[in-house]
Amino acid sequence: MSRYLVKIDDKEFDIELKYNSDKYYALLNGKEFKIDSYKLGENRAVLLIEGKSLEVDVHSNGYDNRKTVFLKGTEIAVDIEDYNLAQLRKTVGLSSDKIIDKTVKAPMPGLILDVKVTAGDTVEKGQPLLIIEAMKMENIIKASGKAVVKEVLVKKGASVEKGSKLLELE
Amino acid sequence: MKITKILIANRGEIAVRVMRACRDLGITSVAVFSDADKTAYHVRMADEAYHIGAAPSSESYLVHDKIIAVAKKSHCDAIHPGYGFLAENSMFAQRCVDEGFVFIGPKPETIALLGDKLQARAQAVEAGLPVVPGGEFEAGNTKDAQKKAKEIGYPVLIKAAAGGGGKGIRVVMSPEEFEESLQRASSEAQLAFGDGRVYIENFLERPRHIEIQILADQYGNVVHLGERECSIQRRHQKLIEESPSAIITPELRKKMGEAAVNIARQTGYIGAGTVEFMVQNKKEFSFYFLEVNTRLQVEHPVTELVTGLDLVKEQIAVAEGKKLRYRQKDISLNGHAIECRISAEDPQQNFMPSTGTLSNYRLPAGPGVRVDSGVVMSSEVPIYYDPLFAKLIVWGADRKEAIDRMKRALEEYHISGVKTTIGCCWSIMQNENFIKGNLSTNFLKEEYPDFRFIRLDDTIKEQAALAVALDKFIRERKISVNYKKSGTSPTNWVSFYRRQNLTDFRGDR
Repeated sequence: MSRYLVKIDDKEFDIELKYNSDKYYALLNGKEFKIDSYKLGENRAVLLIEGKSLEVDVHSNGYDNRKTVFLKGTEIAVDIEDYNLAQLRKTVGLSSDKIIDKTVKAPMPGLILDVKVTAGDTVEKGQPLLIIEAMKMENIIKASGKAVVKEVLVKKGASVEKGSKLLELE
Repeated sequence: MKITKILIANRGEIAVRVMRACRDLGITSVAVFSDADKTAYHVRMADEAYHIGAAPSSESYLVHDKIIAVAKKSHCDAIHPGYGFLAENSMFAQRCVDEGFVFIGPKPETIALLGDKLQARAQAVEAGLPVVPGGEFEAGNTKDAQKKAKEIGYPVLIKAAAGGGGKGIRVVMSPEEFEESLQRASSEAQLAFGDGRVYIENFLERPRHIEIQILADQYGNVVHLGERECSIQRRHQKLIEESPSAIITPELRKKMGEAAVNIARQTGYIGAGTVEFMVQNKKEFSFYFLEVNTRLQVEHPVTELVTGLDLVKEQIAVAEGKKLRYRQKDISLNGHAIECRISAEDPQQNFMPSTGTLSNYRLPAGPGVRVDSGVVMSSEVPIYYDPLFAKLIVWGADRKEAIDRMKRALEEYHISGVKTTIGCCWSIMQNENFIKGNLSTNFLKEEYPDFRFIRLDDTIKEQAALAVALDKFIRERKISVNYKKSGTSPTNWVSFYRRQNLTDFRGDR
C-alpha cells in the first residue's frame, strides 16, 4: 500500500493505493474506487475507474513532484507527494509553493527581449519577470508567487534553450 | 498551359494541403525544407524535397533566390506560396514571373496595390464599397484632424498611415484626449516607419469580422463563394471560423458578395482571394471594407465544405488559364461548416506558444470531420514558425449539428507533448453566446477575461489525481521489482505470481 497527497489547483486529495488480483484499489479522501489500468506506452494508459473509460497520459517533464496529465483533451498540472513526507513538511511549516519553482526556467527556446527585475527585488504573484520572444511572439514570464529575486542568470539579448535557468528566486 | 510540377514554397499544414490537391490532379509536388523540418510531414508527403537552409525562415523559407534555384533545378513549372511567408510578397511574385514560372496567385501588381492599406482603401471607395469614415493627415496638422474626428464621431481610431503590426495605433474616446494621442501616434509612426502620417477613422465597437471568398479567372469572370465569419480572435489572429455566418441573410450576403466582386473587378484580381469586412449591428447590420487578402486563407476549408469546391484545385485551374466552370447563380451554400485552429499555445496563459514533441497524436474521424494537419505522431513543433500546426473542420446539416460535431471531434483529438487550443475551442463550443451566434471580435476578451477556458470540475480533478497517483504507484512498484529480479526476465510463472500478488512474489525471492 502507498499513500500520496495530490494537489490540483487548490484542491487536495489524500489517496491510498493498493494492488490485488490484477486490480488497483484507491481510497480518495475516503471514497473507494476500483481501477483497471492497461498500459499503452511509456506514459499512456487506459484506465477503467469503476468502469468509466479514460485514456490518460502522464508526463513528468523532469520534475519529481509535478506532473502533467492529458485527459479528455485537457492538460492538467498536478502536484504529488508521498503522504507522510507531505505531513512532515507541513509540520515543519514549509509550504509546497516555496519548494517548487525556486528556479525560473525558460518554458520554450527563444530570445530574451527584456529582463524586468534585478537581484534583490521582491516580486508579487503575476508580476512580469522576463520577456522572451519565440514563434514571432513576445511572451511574458510571470512570477508564480511572492518571492525575492536572488540572482538573474540571463541578459537581455541572450538566446536560451527550453529549460535553461533564467532566474533564481528565494 | 498545363501545369505538371509545382514547388510549394511553404511548410506545415498548408504545404500538405496544397500537395493533396497536386496528388488529386496528378501533378508532381516539390517541397522545400529548413534544418528544423528535415523529417517534417510536408517533406514526407511531397514527391520531391530539397533542403534550403537554416531553421530561421529568413535563412530558408523567405529567401527568394533559394526557392527559385530549387524550382529551376527540379524543373517545376509553377510555384504555390501557400499563406504567410512569401504569399503576399509582390517582389517574389514578380521574380517568379520573370524567371518563367507560373505564380499561383494574383498578378504581382495586384498584390502590391492591395497590400498597401491606403491604396486598397482608395480602390474600395472607387469600386463603391462602404469604408469606415475617416481620412489621412500629415504630422502636425492637428486642427484639420480634430475637425475630422469631430465629423466622423468619437470614439476614433488613430493609426499610422504606413503602418502595420499594431504600432502607432490609438483609440481616442473623447475630444480632450485627441491632441496628445495624435502626437504620440504620429511620433510612434515616425519612429517605426520613418513616416509620421496618420490615419483617423471611426472606431467600431464590438464589430464582427466577416469576409467574402472570391474566385476570378483570367478572363474577367468573378464569383463569390459566400462568407466566413471569423470574429473569434486572439491577438488579432483568428481562432474559430465558420460558414455561413449566423447573422448573414441572403440579402446581406448578396450585397457583400457583390461588393467583393466589384473590388476584384476594379483591381483586375485573378485567382482565389478574400475581401474582409467589419460588420456592425446598429439598427441594422452595416458592413465596411477592411482589406483584401491576396492569397489562400487559413480558413478556406469551411468554404470548401459548404460549396463543395476544392479551392486549391480551382487556384491551379485558374493559373493554367482555364475559365471558371460556373457562374454566380450556380453557387449555393449547403449546410454549415466550422473550423478550429489547432495551435501549439497555452490558452490559459494568454495563448503563449508551446513547443515540444508530440508524444501522442490521434486524429478525430467519422462523419463530417476533416483534419488538415501538418504533423504526425512524434513530430516536433519547432519554435521558428507559426504555432498553428493543424486545423479541425467539421460539416453539419445546420449550425447546431456542426457545433455538436465539433465538440465531439475535439474530444476525439488526442494530443500530448504540447499545449494546444483544443480545450479552449471545446469550451467555446459550449459557450451560450457562441451557440446563440452573439459574436464580436471582443468575444474572447468579454467571455473569458481571465483566460480560464477550462474550469475543471471535481470529477475530472479526481480522475487526474487518481491517474497521477496510479502512475507513481506503478513506477515505484516496478523499480522495486526490477531491483529484486536483478536483470533477468521473469518466467511466465514468475509473472503469474507477480500478477497474483506482489508481496508473495517478493517473498519468494
